[in-house]
Amino acid sequence: MEEGTLQTASPELQPSDRIKLNVGGKLFETTISTLRSGGPDSLLAALSNRPITDHNPVFIDRDPEIFTVLLSLLRSNQLPSTARRFSKQELADEALFYGIESQLKLATSPPPFIGIDASVVATIRPASDGLPSAFTAAAGDGSVWIAHGGQISSYDWNLVHAETVRTHLDDITSICRVWPEIAAVGSDLDAGLHFYDFSSSRHVGSIQWTDSTDPRIYKARVTAIADSPSSVFASFDCPHRENCILVIDKSTLKVVSEIGRQSGNQAKNMVAGKMTWIPETGVLVGSAVTSGAFGYSGYIRLWDPRSGEVVWETNEPGSGRSSRFGDSFAEVDVDAEELYLFKICSKSGDLGVADMRNLGSDPWVYLKDKNPSLINSGGGGNSVMHCYRKQAFVGRDGGLEVWSRVAEAENGVDRENGFSEGLYRRNFMNKVEDSEKGNIKKIEGGGNRLFVSREAVEGIEVWESSYASGAMPVL
Amino acid sequence: MPPFAGSASNGFQQPKPDSNIIAIDVGGQLFQTTKQTLNLAGPKSLFSKISESASSNEFCTPFVDRDPELFSILLSLLRTGNLPSKAKAFDLQDLISESQYYGIESLLVNSLSNPSQFEAFNLEKSMILPINGRDSPSAIATTRYGSLHVAHGSKITSFDWSLRRKSTILTQFTAVDSLLAISPSVAAAGATDFSGLQILDLQKGFVKETLNWENVTRSSSTVQAIGSSPELLFASFESGRRNSNSIMVYDLHSLSPVTEIGHNEIYGAELDSAIPATKLKWVSGYNLLMASGSHSGPSGVQGNIKLWDIRSGNVVWEVKENTDCFSDVTVSDSLSVIFKVGVNSGEVFFTDLRNLGAENPWVCLGDRRKVVNGKKEGVGCKIESHGTQVFCSKGGDIELWSEVVMGSKKKSEDGLDDRVFRKNSMGRAEDMGGSRITTLAFGGNKMFMTRKDQQYVEVWQSYARAL
Repeated sequence: MEEGTLQTASPELQPSDRIKLNVGGKLFETTISTLRSGGPDSLLAALSNRPITDHNPVFIDRDPEIFTVLLSLLRSNQLPSTARRFSKQELADEALFYGIESQLKLATSPPPFIGIDASVVATIRPASDGLPSAFTAAAGDGSVWIAHGGQISSYDWNLVHAETVRTHLDDITSICRVWPEIAAVGSDLDAGLHFYDFSSSRHVGSIQWTDSTDPRIYKARVTAIADSPSSVFASFDCPHRENCILVIDKSTLKVVSEIGRQSGNQAKNMVAGKMTWIPETGVLVGSAVTSGAFGYSGYIRLWDPRSGEVVWETNEPGSGRSSRFGDSFAEVDVDAEELYLFKICSKSGDLGVADMRNLGSDPWVYLKDKNPSLINSGGGGNSVMHCYRKQAFVGRDGGLEVWSRVAEAENGVDRENGFSEGLYRRNFMNKVEDSEKGNIKKIEGGGNRLFVSREAVEGIEVWESSYASGAMPVL
Repeated sequence: MPPFAGSASNGFQQPKPDSNIIAIDVGGQLFQTTKQTLNLAGPKSLFSKISESASSNEFCTPFVDRDPELFSILLSLLRTGNLPSKAKAFDLQDLISESQYYGIESLLVNSLSNPSQFEAFNLEKSMILPINGRDSPSAIATTRYGSLHVAHGSKITSFDWSLRRKSTILTQFTAVDSLLAISPSVAAAGATDFSGLQILDLQKGFVKETLNWENVTRSSSTVQAIGSSPELLFASFESGRRNSNSIMVYDLHSLSPVTEIGHNEIYGAELDSAIPATKLKWVSGYNLLMASGSHSGPSGVQGNIKLWDIRSGNVVWEVKENTDCFSDVTVSDSLSVIFKVGVNSGEVFFTDLRNLGAENPWVCLGDRRKVVNGKKEGVGCKIESHGTQVFCSKGGDIELWSEVVMGSKKKSEDGLDDRVFRKNSMGRAEDMGGSRITTLAFGGNKMFMTRKDQQYVEVWQSYARAL
């Protein structure tokens, strides 16, 4: 509560001083500190800094109803229920006018994502060619860029459609947001890595893998893209399966180096289909999986991008313990926060975890599933995995499951103990009937949202956790 | 609009210094009330601070930088103890967070979720609380003011008293079989396939304490039932080898063991001692703990019901059930009656706590001829008492049993009144049926139930009180 002090025309305004505003003919009274809570650069903070020469309220020619909502937001840091009368776009525009967009973002962004308590809140459906071929949510603010039918559509943190850029590619199969406004895209059908700028809606550069000394290097197509703060990594694959990873400087968009060139004549040296850069160690993790008549085979490799050396690798079948023979991995992902490698075994469907700080010849710990109702849920073929917020999300056919850790003590889990088979618990996120919607094709997290696309299903599911109970009145 | 919206603030008359009337400026709108009204909010609330500051400075109107419309609703709540009908224009969540700011959430709880507002005859299905994920609820627990914990699979989801906010934690259990709310943020949980009773912090999701029963065979101790009195926590344990069982009594606040009652070691073929208690109910009017357990074998269902005196550790009363054993049993403090639903007949029986010790204590409240036909109509039936009513689930429906107090007192041979109980089916035609009811619980002015294979909790309350 602000103590009532009589307003004087003193030049120095105290944060507890009261200020009157006239918004569109409706009078409001609040305090300087409330107006300034929107940040020093906001219009409201600027108003609060005006020396008071007369006692007439400041007039703002905007809608008073929306201002009521935004003033509540500034006072209590949460949006009142009356905000539902306005569209997200209206609120965002009005918040932008007053310069308090960051407050609105804070109040409307979803709480920390907990897979065991998440539900579908929206489905983003691009208006045309609605089958997403690739998407990225890596910006981390809850926004998503969707590649569909050769176009890239961007949806902002509000999940409102912001822009669509048509590229020269007809089928974008990999996309990476290398700068806030620049997307790197690649296609299975066309050669090269291409950069598109959203602010100008145009193509701003291309990278081709060329080697004048080797005639087999031509028409190299991009299969995976990852980025670090300074570089972009793209794996290229030629028609005759020669492949490599090009390291591209982010600011100049020029090739810096080439790492891991290989002939691609067997599973051990085919192109990486999935890449992740680990900020903590500066290591690039790449994996490749192929399946044929004799089951799955592939590799996981860790590169040091500066030297181009392989730091660690495992090949399956080949490495690993004999008890897991014939059960090579079908899918791999990295938890960059916890530095764990996860794999899904193709035959048993088990999840294997390896601590990246302690990798050896067989670092895998196979997680035991204690929940009897989940045991018979099939093998690991046709599965996708994504690690987000220290949880592993697995899509098996149409079912979405989350592997999460049980907090054991008040201070969380002690890492020193290493891990045991029972470290992670598995839970289904979707209901039985939801899993019939279509096979899950890709899962990616960003901004406390999980985005899920399904094969031959238009649009992308958006999952969020919520503190709201979602109680449905039936009276 | 508040009453003084039209008057300019400088034209507003300051009350006389000795006046009881207090003016408050909330977000630019003026309100007038009395010191007495403000002091109803309690000494720690913002209102009493406003009241103090207004008294200390006569010529200055206290200013509160909050929304005036929400304030006017909370002021009405302060004046009358009830929410005005215009509060329906707002989301309850807004009112709760605003009342938390002013420090008067307890008044809101009292007006909206008070257990004294429970109207058994006027309950309607009012709300569905969906549970995320694929597991259906296995156990639910409530607190006095209607906050709710739902165990589903290895997770526990907690709803606040308004049922508007929730949070979910992951536990070490595969499935929680018994759950008891100690406070809105602390619960005791146990399972028949997991060793130890865990006291869980439901906000942060960690185990505060694990209570184990040291059995002779040094095997694990699984939890069969949890109960509580205002001071004590009871847990029925069975050893992992299923050759001994016991009821442990803990202090509810310190969680230190107080005593152990009903310790059974099983050596011979005596079936009765091999049955652990699967339901523990405190009978506060008699200071007794009711413990019941049953076992289904080839010769039918057998069970026992015991009333324990905790201080002496003795069984005060015991009944062994061989024919038409209970499917579920409950005790009503206010009626002084134990109710059971028979597993064969599916009928409700009662026995008067004031007149225990008869050969066959049960008085059948339905068609007693059904006892003989060896069917098992009562399997899966649940019976719970709340207030002066007894709720018995049969399949997907609920029977509400209540005592009819007769004016003309006809004495029976033993000097006690013949008690008259009558039943009603709950709910409208459209609410009847549905999947089998698996759990029933009561809290605040609401009844909660879960159904087999349904991933939601049904909330029943009286429409006048519906939030």
